[in-house]
Amino acid sequence: MNDGGLHNRKEQEKSQKQSKPSKFRSKSDDFALAIAKVAIAQVCESVGFQGSQHSALETLSDIIVRYIYSVGKTANFNANLAGRAEANVFDVIQGLEELGSGLGFAGGSDFDRCVANSVIARDIIHFIGDADDIPFAYDVPRFPLVKEWKEMESLWGKGEQPPGEHIPSWLPAFPDPDTYAARLSVGNETNSISSGEKTELARVERKMERSLLNLQQRFARNGNEGGSSNYGGYAGRARVASESNPYLAAPLHFGEKEVEVSPVVLPAKLSNEVALRNPVPENCDMGNRVSVLETFAPAIEGMTSGLCDLDNGQKKVVYNQSVHFKIGIGKKSFGTAPYFNSQNEDLEKIASWFRNDNEKDDKKRKAEKILKESIESSQKPTQL
Amino acid sequence: MNHNQQSGDAKNDDDSALSDFLASLMDYTPAIPDELVEHYLAKSGFQCPDVRLIRLVAVATQKFVAEVASDALQHCKARQAAVIKDKREKQQKDKHLILTMDDLSKSLLEYGVNVQHQDYFADDPSTGRDPASREE
Repeated sequence: MNDGGLHNRKEQEKSQKQSKPSKFRSKSDDFALAIAKVAIAQVCESVGFQGSQHSALETLSDIIVRYIYSVGKTANFNANLAGRAEANVFDVIQGLEELGSGLGFAGGSDFDRCVANSVIARDIIHFIGDADDIPFAYDVPRFPLVKEWKEMESLWGKGEQPPGEHIPSWLPAFPDPDTYAARLSVGNETNSISSGEKTELARVERKMERSLLNLQQRFARNGNEGGSSNYGGYAGRARVASESNPYLAAPLHFGEKEVEVSPVVLPAKLSNEVALRNPVPENCDMGNRVSVLETFAPAIEGMTSGLCDLDNGQKKVVYNQSVHFKIGIGKKSFGTAPYFNSQNEDLEKIASWFRNDNEKDDKKRKAEKILKESIESSQKPTQL
Repeated sequence: MNHNQQSGDAKNDDDSALSDFLASLMDYTPAIPDELVEHYLAKSGFQCPDVRLIRLVAVATQKFVAEVASDALQHCKARQAAVIKDKREKQQKDKHLILTMDDLSKSLLEYGVNVQHQDYFADDPSTGRDPASREE
């Protein structure tokens, strides 16, 4: 039973080796492995097989990939041994001989054999002569793709002078000074508690004002330009995308904080009257924005002068004034947000305003949800 | 002197044969695409701008695959012949030749590659032992 024990131990080691992820089984190599599988399946078909097990094909392709790798490794080694950096045909043939030496080839034991006269080369010539030409099934691009280095990202590329000798020019350019200038000024002040609080408050207020300003500006513009704002570089790209697809809306610009909206305090009575100011077609949000702006203008004014609670660095804005929502009965279906009541046209407009808002936040979305649910629940008795 | 001359001629012949061979390589399109071979050769550190060498490696690999596959085919056909011998009533039960892990592992073993799978269950005291010792 000693032999049995040895056998088991060897198999255990082998299985351990197999369980370790090899460089030929990593995720990054999936594409190459897939191509190898196709190629090998084609060769098997030419040999005479009509099908194969998945595991057999995968195993064979894995082995072939390792074969190529070891041929390259050996050829490179031979070239380096000869003092060269680039391999040539003799290195490759010697590598092939080394791989085939396990099985043996004619003339392998000759001490004066010449590489040029190798049996391996002759075998390959015979093989080419006998075998049919099997073109590969797919058109394979060059891989891995080499991405072009964006030269414009670096300071040097943009032609700017690095602001300080310690900053090398190959680093990416700094963002707009507006985004971090306030912080810099804050950082220069003294660290006392009271002044720290004041500056924190001032900074937050400034940020709020800036973001509100952006909101206002956005609403004031026409619908064609809608979605764009002062966000540095993202405006053009985000414009068209954000209008068509909410998921492609541009991300927040660096440094801009989202306006966090706490759940809106609903007025005591919700008017169920249909009060459509502007008949708005489905895609055009032009009139909508103006009306919403007018609706929210008092709220926005209230926000700027309103309470500002600081809670561990977060800010909460409480609407001082009540917000009036116009609830209408429309027949448009709402594709993107299934939980919206499709019969509320104005709700759609408001929701689309939220949707196109670049400063969308999780909390804001939750606020919308709560709002919609409350409106729906209040509407249900009327619908019944 | 003659010997040297002869060996010199032989060398020239060999060189010309090799250069002819490399030229003929470009006519033949191997089944394994050049990009794949280049990728793995680059991974191993093999640097060569010459396309013919890439083709050479591709053709050699294809030859290896063909040999392994043909050995596996032999094993498969042998097994089917054995099955047909036993059950004469089922004439040519399975014409489908399928590359199985079993045949592949047997043929690869001759090339020095061990891909034998462990048996799932032991229905025999000799399960898991070497095939040579199993035949006892």
